[in-house]
Amino acid sequence: MTEAGTDFRIGVDIGGTFTDLVLADSVGTVTVFKVASDPQDPAAGVMRAVEAAAAANGKPTSDLLAGCSQFVHGSTIATNTLLERKGARVGCLVTSGFRDSLEIRRGLRPDPWDHRTPYQPVLVPRYLRHPVRGRIDPRGHEETALSADDVAAAAACFMREGVQSVAICLFNSYLNDTHECAAAAQLRDALPELHISVSSTVAPIMGEYERSSTTVLNAYVGPRSLTYLRDLDRRLGILGLPNRMLLIQNNSGAVSVDEIASRPVALLLSGPAAGVGAMRYYSRALGSDHLISMEIGGTSCDVMLMSHGAIAQTDRLEVDGYDVVSPSIDIQTIGAGGGTIAGVDSAGLLFVGPQGAGARPGPACYGLGGTAPTVTDAQVVLGRLAPATYAAGAVAIDATLAHAAVRDRVAAPLGLDTEAAAIGIIRLLEQKLLHAVQRISIERGHDPRRFTLIAGGGAGALHAANVARALGCRRVYVPRLAGAFCALGMLNSDVRHDFLRVHFGELDRPDQVAIARNFERLRDAAMATLAREGFRPDSVTLLHAVDLRYVGQQWDVTVALPAGPIDPAAVRRAFEAEHERLFGHIQPAGLIEMTKLRLAGIGHLPPLAAAAPARATTEAPQTENRRVWVDARRSWADVRVYRGGELAPGHGFSGPAIVEEQTTTVLVGAGDCLTVDAAGNFVIDLARED
Amino acid sequence: MQAASAGHDVDPVTLALVQNRLDHIARQMGWVMVRTSRSPIFNQSHDFSCFITDRDGTLVSQADGIPIHTGGGGFAIRAVLKSFAGNIVEGDVFLLNDPYVAGGNHLPDWVIARPVFAGGALTAFACNRAHQSDIGGGAAGTYNPEATEIFHEGIRLPVLKLIEHGVTRNDLWQLLLLNTRCPELLDGDLRAMLGSTQIGAEQIADLVEELIEDFGGDAAAKCFAAILDHGERRLRTALAALPHGSWQAEESYDTDCFVPADIRIRVAVTLDADGATVDFTGTDPQIRGFKNSSLANTHSAVYAAFAAFFATDIPRNEGTFRAIRIIAPEGSLVNARAPAPLTMCTVFPAHEIMHVCWWALGQADPARNIAGWGKNAFPVSSGTRAGGTTWVLYHWGGGSGAGAVAGRDGFNQMGPMITLGGLVIPNAETYEQLYPVRVHRQEFRCDAAGPGKWRGGTGIEYEAEIDLEAVYSFRGEGVGRATGKGVEHGGDGAGGTLAVHGRDGSVLSPPQYALLRLGASRLVMQSPGGGGFGDPLDRDPDLVGRDVRDGVVSQAAAVAIYAVQFAADGSIDLVATEHLRRARRDAG
Repeated sequence: MTEAGTDFRIGVDIGGTFTDLVLADSVGTVTVFKVASDPQDPAAGVMRAVEAAAAANGKPTSDLLAGCSQFVHGSTIATNTLLERKGARVGCLVTSGFRDSLEIRRGLRPDPWDHRTPYQPVLVPRYLRHPVRGRIDPRGHEETALSADDVAAAAACFMREGVQSVAICLFNSYLNDTHECAAAAQLRDALPELHISVSSTVAPIMGEYERSSTTVLNAYVGPRSLTYLRDLDRRLGILGLPNRMLLIQNNSGAVSVDEIASRPVALLLSGPAAGVGAMRYYSRALGSDHLISMEIGGTSCDVMLMSHGAIAQTDRLEVDGYDVVSPSIDIQTIGAGGGTIAGVDSAGLLFVGPQGAGARPGPACYGLGGTAPTVTDAQVVLGRLAPATYAAGAVAIDATLAHAAVRDRVAAPLGLDTEAAAIGIIRLLEQKLLHAVQRISIERGHDPRRFTLIAGGGAGALHAANVARALGCRRVYVPRLAGAFCALGMLNSDVRHDFLRVHFGELDRPDQVAIARNFERLRDAAMATLAREGFRPDSVTLLHAVDLRYVGQQWDVTVALPAGPIDPAAVRRAFEAEHERLFGHIQPAGLIEMTKLRLAGIGHLPPLAAAAPARATTEAPQTENRRVWVDARRSWADVRVYRGGELAPGHGFSGPAIVEEQTTTVLVGAGDCLTVDAAGNFVIDLARED
Repeated sequence: MQAASAGHDVDPVTLALVQNRLDHIARQMGWVMVRTSRSPIFNQSHDFSCFITDRDGTLVSQADGIPIHTGGGGFAIRAVLKSFAGNIVEGDVFLLNDPYVAGGNHLPDWVIARPVFAGGALTAFACNRAHQSDIGGGAAGTYNPEATEIFHEGIRLPVLKLIEHGVTRNDLWQLLLLNTRCPELLDGDLRAMLGSTQIGAEQIADLVEELIEDFGGDAAAKCFAAILDHGERRLRTALAALPHGSWQAEESYDTDCFVPADIRIRVAVTLDADGATVDFTGTDPQIRGFKNSSLANTHSAVYAAFAAFFATDIPRNEGTFRAIRIIAPEGSLVNARAPAPLTMCTVFPAHEIMHVCWWALGQADPARNIAGWGKNAFPVSSGTRAGGTTWVLYHWGGGSGAGAVAGRDGFNQMGPMITLGGLVIPNAETYEQLYPVRVHRQEFRCDAAGPGKWRGGTGIEYEAEIDLEAVYSFRGEGVGRATGKGVEHGGDGAGGTLAVHGRDGSVLSPPQYALLRLGASRLVMQSPGGGGFGDPLDRDPDLVGRDVRDGVVSQAAAVAIYAVQFAADGSIDLVATEHLRRARRDAG
């Protein structure tokens, strides 16, 4: 037995159904607590989870919090504020002539064929988008002065209309922010209570639509999110938490409430982005930095890719039909989870998804009134999930309901027996999962065969072996705490702030002085921010990068830079390598231009200690045999079912087998070898095909 | 409930897996194309489509591609089979573009067709149809509004064997490069097309080999047949919900590109137990200008119209479209005879063909009717930079308003209808960095939206200034009369206007179609509004109030058209409104 540490870390992830709390001590022992989420009062769910953890440790809540060095929260408050349309009343300041950029949306719709579906409502109605005169030209020079009269008229309009939050989105402000800053100052003087979001601060990028949309979302979710977060932070402090609460941002870095106050839009991916911390944690345990994670919950599957230890990044997000530009983790999400609904279309073809049964009624087998067969129901029919109660009684599975749903809605219309229908549902779902992983790898120029697949979420480990096999991967990794993937990741995150600045110029004729000056500004901002977060300069890493493209292209490739003056030849080589990977070709001697300078400031937090549970002293225990459909190769078999709690480092066996863990169920294919690694997680070496 | 595998003994799970996988392969071909092509037309505008046909050239999957390419690729592959019957071997790759002899839709869209061999036999084709940046002809950029013969529109390619048993024909390749103003782009883009079909062909071959291993020799053919049957059943099921009968609709041009003219496109859509017949008999003869259509393009426009009319999850393969019979009289403008020019056809008359199909179907199923989308009114400007490079600027910021449907207003501005808005409108800030242009205005018009229970899109006030001498290619189909027609008692959207203001104070009203070289100018235009759906008297008064408040409907129009009454404080008087509306309805 190891001695329990006293220096705790707590990660809390709020999901639609459950709030997960992960508690880690200084020797890497990690425990998960799940309580029901409270959509009306998310903070109450957080406090209940903390109380549950304290009770389990036999401590008063205040003692647990007092011993907690890091409290990290993946908050869905910003996302839910948007989804539930509970945001602020927002007014917009726009350049005369461009009043409607926000509502035209560049005509972007995810599926052009779906032309009957209206846009999500515009968050600022036209009458609250107030035009002001004044113009910055394409070189960043003032062409027409900002009209203070127009700003004053806007202020009067906002006051009259009860506007709570203002987004300032002026044309070409990414080149020159003086008009935006002047307008913000004038509005602050006139209306001190107003929450103000300035586009050149929130998203200093070229493109009036995306910059406005991002700034407006920031203005919309800001006031409510900050109220909630400040309140929760204060409550935790009063209860004894010695440090300030941290949040996870879209870029997977942690941040304090105070620092996120100017750009709460960076919290829209707060939950799933925390999965990056989990990938880094397991990367150490595995000794591999080529990982693809496939986290499957009730409604969706999130896929992320780590290559050479770096997580793929993107600037563009779409949240509930709204476009956001924010440095973010590149997550491929598809509607494929345990609750995804299967059926037969009007001409007799089987389909799975994208619709899901949601938290309510959920799968038919939950007995909450659902009659549509879901992936979970198919798993029950195939014997992979046993009828029992799960998650401390929160969910009970009734196999007869699962059979009835699959039989009535899929098997009967297709003329199949119920088991064949369930097999069809699983195979079609797994093909979709395969395609999602191929998309994030192949489309971005990575060969998936070089990666280890990590299964996250409650349902990931049921599909991982089959999907990995189809991808040509050799190995699957199933964390014992797969069901709390993101909450765990929060405990292994650094503080990170991303800054960028538009900078146009030919790569071969770099204006080193201007570049150095721009980087210096970004560096000053990063160091000041991290100093406020409590980091000394020696615990900070700065990552420099530049966005480049061949002249005429409209999208950029980001290339890392060493600090110091730009070496055009070296940068060209790095750009060409990346361009070759992404696009399959380069233009030898092509003219390359710089478009943006980027700087990430990282404040290092101590990594989460590796878990080191006691090694096995016995043979792998065996509990029961169950008839299970394994996969298309092995079909039905009598399969050994292990209780995860009885498996320890050193244990190993070959499939077919099932492992039932606290938060997940693992399917091991025929001939696959499962071993429990030193950290207590499951490594599955896949049987070689042929 | 129908049997799943009617006629073809493919089990339903395999069928679903194969269909889903073919769609994935087509999409993957698209990723490769986007990743490896050179021209912005592909990697930004996505003006291409990747498709898969069976060994007979019947299109089985087109999961990736723009709406106006829907289902038309089969013509090209059947032309390949006809031209090279008995002479197609592993390693061959074909290229074609001609709409008159090679199943093309219009000359700029080149098709690469790569036969797929598996189990020793031809089993499929992996194909890519893509709009090239320049193919010679009378104007840079493939569109020549002054063309009167196809010879003025660029190089014509019959079905060519570009790669013969694995060996690229260099002589042919050089011939192609010699016939474009942008040889580097064409070279790179052709290679990207070859790469994307290569990936597609490999994956289709893998799939077919697996099917043969699991189910025997002709499993792939059976699966393809079953996929086509399923598509056909889906559309027939949708059509069966409509009454039997015959409905007519009409669209028009008001110019032949040279002189004003009244030119009609007429259709009769007949629904009966055999499915749908779309008969263009009565459509005017082919015209002098380049707004004629090829047969392949006419089929694609009809297919796109039907696909957009019904549920979006109906597959868009040629099996689906077996439920539609198309009659397009030869020599009419929807099936022109050589050498009529027709490069504009993917826009006009594709737009008109989609409209008339919608409006005929809309009579059978009024709830699904679709109001007219405003036609494009903006020009294309081009010129030469100081360094000698050419710039070509499409004024997409002057794009039109879309038509309404039940349940939503028309999009106030949207990419062209023939892409169903898939072509994205650029940011003005980006344009100011790329081109010598200053955009001064891109805002909603007031009172231009077609009135209705659901109103049309507003259209746009667009002003852009170009400091230099430039060539303007005018294609003002949407200038003048209203083109966004209302349906179900909805009103028409306003027509477009276009003027060019010179530095000297002159104001030019250009002809609808022309190539003009102009000095520094400011383009001032209003793009057409979309048509409305339903009676404006049925519009929710709150929505009228919102539009008035937003300044896209004037208070006068709210009273005159929507019969909305306002109280002294500007709020809507619901009682008075209902009263006035009743009186208007009674008055008929």
